[in-house]
Amino acid sequence: MTTMIKKTSAFERANHWIMAVSFLVLAVTGAGFLYRLEGLNSIFGSFQNMKTVHNYAGIVFSVSLVLSLFSYLGEALRFDADDFIWLLTLGGYLSKKAKLPPQGRLNAGQKSFYLFLIIAGTAISATGYIIWLVPTLREWILISHLTHNISFVLLLMAIPIHIYLGTLANPGTFRIMVYGTVPVEWARKKHAKWVRSMEAGQ
Amino acid sequence: MQRKTLLISPELCIGCRGCQTACKAWNRLPATKTANKGSFENPPDLTPYVYNKIRYVEAPSEANPVRWLFISQRCMHCEDAGCMKICPAPGALFRTKEGAVAFNKDKCIGCKLCIAGCPFNIPRYDEKDKISKCHLCPDRIAGGLEPACAKTCPTGAIAFGDRSAIIAGARNAGYRKLYGEADLGGLGVLYAFKESPEFYGMNEKPAIPESIVFWHNVLKPLALIGLGGAVAGSVLHYLAIGPKRDGEGGEK
Ligand code: SF4
Ligand code: SF4
Ligand code: SF4
Repeated sequence: MTTMIKKTSAFERANHWIMAVSFLVLAVTGAGFLYRLEGLNSIFGSFQNMKTVHNYAGIVFSVSLVLSLFSYLGEALRFDADDFIWLLTLGGYLSKKAKLPPQGRLNAGQKSFYLFLIIAGTAISATGYIIWLVPTLREWILISHLTHNISFVLLLMAIPIHIYLGTLANPGTFRIMVYGTVPVEWARKKHAKWVRSMEAGQ
Repeated sequence: MQRKTLLISPELCIGCRGCQTACKAWNRLPATKTANKGSFENPPDLTPYVYNKIRYVEAPSEANPVRWLFISQRCMHCEDAGCMKICPAPGALFRTKEGAVAFNKDKCIGCKLCIAGCPFNIPRYDEKDKISKCHLCPDRIAGGLEPACAKTCPTGAIAFGDRSAIIAGARNAGYRKLYGEADLGGLGVLYAFKESPEFYGMNEKPAIPESIVFWHNVLKPLALIGLGGAVAGSVLHYLAIGPKRDGEGGEK
């Protein structure tokens, strides 16, 4: 039997999927508003309902974002020399021959993605609340509307890449967000520093 | 149908505010209690039930110590309408045959983004948070009538007609340029000003906020391009370089 090692907690996985589903709902309804997709009425009934769904999904997303801070922020902020080399090697994604420096539980790409998510997610959430709650403050709305939409464009580019990297591009990765465990040998190849520290801690 | 236009001539207005009353009567807008603030300007601002109002400007000079100007104001029915541009709800704001910007409260979702889009501070909201503003009396125009405000005006300070005829008439009366002729693609309400627009409390160069224009022209297409690019890039990477297999690209 392969020895497994636990890479994510049940809380992290649950929160990941809460965020994923709320993001999907927000993206679909948001695109509905952006492009006035009347076809979505067959799902939501009316734009009025769609607005309610968008706003409340926004609460779920932003709470989930805050909860994620406890899981990843500390780690994501710690970039060491290996992480920079990892980034310079582009994570080995463009060359099969690239040799990567050892990584912690989160590799440098994951750390970068998380920091991006926090910035874009905070921007889109905060401006969403402003548009929702103080719509008559014109100057605030103008800047919020712009920021909300720029963040949307960025997330719309980043999330498909995140999905690709978490599934097809890295076989064996997706189970981390399903079962939470990976084979130790797999982890040793990709997250050597983390496995070492886990084994040292045992 | 020809685009219809209102022509406002402040120099003709006597401040009787018949237009305000007529608008309320025709559009069945309830009265609201206001306090006299010692000015002709009453009510002091547009409300969900005040679609038009008279702005009162006092401009005394040596030659004319009592110069009172009354400027009738309402939605400008812009050709390039910021409210319509930003509105996320299809059908909430729509263009009528005669070129006015009308609204459908059933479609409005009360997001109030049109406040941000409007260069003239026009949209207001009723108690259900639905948009409320002048709609150029489409029901009257459809019946071959003038809008209520124009019909009731006793001095001709509010004239109504085909846009080209209105502009031609003003040229004959000696106005080289009307306020709103070219702004925002041409406003549906023109003003025959004898002085600079600022003098009458109007913006010299009304414009849709740049951030909204940028959002509309750049960000909206960019969102699709970005999404498509990210998906295409992933597919391409998968085909051209392929996934990381065990051992490949591993750590040293
Ligand atoms: S004046 Fe304002 S509300 Fe009226 S059409 Fe223009 S942008 Fe829309
Ligand atoms: S408040 Fe109504 S009319 Fe104004 S932008 Fe929102 S949906 Fe459109
Ligand atoms: S055109 Fe009709 S709705 Fe608009 S201000 Fe005049 S009377 Fe009121």
